[in-house]
Amino acid sequence: MSNKLRTLILDDESIVCKRLKPALEKSGYEVETFDNPTDALKRIDQEEFDIVVTDIRMDEIDGIQVLEHVLARSSRTRVIIITGYATVEMAREALAKGAFDFIAKPFKPNDLRAVIAKAAKELKSEK
Amino acid sequence: MKTNRQNDGNDDAILKDSPYFLSENTDVKTALLKDDSETKILRALLERPGFSIRARLALGFLLFFALSVGITITAYIALNHMERKLIFLEVADLFTNEIQQARRYEKNFFLYGSDISNVLEHIDIADQLLDSARSELVSVVGEKNMRTMESHLSKYKKLVIKINTLSIDQESSELPEYKEIAEELRSHGTEMLSFAIDMSRKERDKVNDMIRVAKMAPVVFSIIIFLLMLYETNFLARHIIRRLNRLMEATQRVANGDFTPIMPHRRFRDEFTNLAVAMNSMMSQLMHRHEILVRSHKLRAVGTLTAGVAHELNNPINNIMLTSEMLKEDYSELSDEERLDMVSDLVSQAERARKIVSNLLDFARESEIEPELLDVGQIIRETLALVGNQLKLHNVKPQLDIAHNLSPVHGDKQHLSQVFFNLIMNAIDAMPEGGKLIINVSNSSFEASFLEVRISDTGKGIPEHLIGSIFDPFFTTKPTGKGTGLGLSVSMGIIRKHGGAIRVESKVGEGTSFSILLPISTVPAEIMHEKSQKNGE
Repeated sequence: MSNKLRTLILDDESIVCKRLKPALEKSGYEVETFDNPTDALKRIDQEEFDIVVTDIRMDEIDGIQVLEHVLARSSRTRVIIITGYATVEMAREALAKGAFDFIAKPFKPNDLRAVIAKAAKELKSEK
Repeated sequence: MKTNRQNDGNDDAILKDSPYFLSENTDVKTALLKDDSETKILRALLERPGFSIRARLALGFLLFFALSVGITITAYIALNHMERKLIFLEVADLFTNEIQQARRYEKNFFLYGSDISNVLEHIDIADQLLDSARSELVSVVGEKNMRTMESHLSKYKKLVIKINTLSIDQESSELPEYKEIAEELRSHGTEMLSFAIDMSRKERDKVNDMIRVAKMAPVVFSIIIFLLMLYETNFLARHIIRRLNRLMEATQRVANGDFTPIMPHRRFRDEFTNLAVAMNSMMSQLMHRHEILVRSHKLRAVGTLTAGVAHELNNPINNIMLTSEMLKEDYSELSDEERLDMVSDLVSQAERARKIVSNLLDFARESEIEPELLDVGQIIRETLALVGNQLKLHNVKPQLDIAHNLSPVHGDKQHLSQVFFNLIMNAIDAMPEGGKLIINVSNSSFEASFLEVRISDTGKGIPEHLIGSIFDPFFTTKPTGKGTGLGLSVSMGIIRKHGGAIRVESKVGEGTSFSILLPISTVPAEIMHEKSQKNGE
């Protein structure tokens, strides 16, 4: 098994998944993307991810629920929340509930890379 | 100069394309139209011939006065007349008396041969009576009768004098001439007496008639006064109370949000016209203010939407940012196919952003009502897209059910969209904890030729005592500063203008359901007319 960090990206905007997957793979992460929270939760149940990046606002299940689900399964997983303009309150709530950090839309791939790198560093130091 | 002018033309063209310019332009146009119709009504109100209530009342009282003066004058003349008749009767009685006296002496003279000079004495008194009251007597009996009377009297007198001279010789009484004179004297005497008695009887009858008439006069006068008073009362009722009622109705209309100006109803202009003019000006100001409020309500709605739209815009912008950054980063390594995919993503996301913005602008724009055939289902879909973010933010799940065989509706798209927006936002506000928003569009089941849009929520519901006032302007249950209280009243106004109706059903704790009924557009009247004409041929 490689020592690459396993990363899951969940955003109901499929273009986000489509672009972030190669961007993060280039930075040396193992990336799985989902644009459907139900499928993503199923996958999370199957496998433990190091880093989960999730949009906060989705139709059926919101980011907070995903966060709670992930942390309940593995507390060491770092969860990064993608927020929009009107959901600063929710982002604050997410941080209180144990999210690692949040990043506001619109962002550049490098912005997310920086946040993930920070999370990776923390994970490494834990080991 | 020339280039300048061209520039001006270009500016105009640009301005005309902008929705803001359009809205301002049409606003000015409708404002002008409104002013025009207002001045027309004002002119119609004021250009009627003036006949003030003061003048009408004055005329009524003048009529009273004229009637009283008339009655007084007639009474004065009648009494004067009666007085003269009474004088005549007095004279006639005295005269008759004297003649009777003279005839008694005449009889004594013939029977017992007493002194005839007593006859002369009484005849002289009678003659003096006739002379002294001649003018009164003539006015009553006429010149002709007076002459007859006088000739009888003078002849009688002559005969008495003649017989007096004859009777000086005792024997002359045997003469045939004497007998003849005596006969003539008797006949003149009888005639004179019967004439006088007859005349005074006739005049007495006349006086009695006049007294009877004089007794009737006050009764007739009272009846006339009564009728006049009836007319005045009727006038007051018709011209004042009914007018007041009309003005009261107008104020009630205003309270219900109907600002149609008061139209002239009567032929004449009076004090109430000034009141109507004042009320019309008040209504036009109220309407103006109402329009400002409606606009501010809409601006508030636009504000609410803008927050959501800004968030909604972040999605395509984020997609564009990620895609363009990755395209820049990996440009040389990407295959043509991948690059094309990314570029077309850029285009589609830019298009998505444009649509979001134009949707909002469509909603925010104000323009003249332009009725057209509308697909209500489509308007509902677009409105729902517009509030998509509000739904997500408040955790409200929309459920849309649009029937397939929908008939088109004749109406204004923007206004209907505003109504649906207002109702959907109300539904969202009624569900602070989230819930379900159910929208059904169908041909109405209980009102044929109507289309029904049913917007239901699973919110807190409206308490029964408030249901009656939810369509009132400025009624709101939201905290101060949050709601204008105009949403439903504006919506009601728009739907009424479309010939439709809004119904509401609500149960506290279960939710509220608004039904909008809109008349289905049938074949335009002109076409029907042409068709029937062709059939007729």
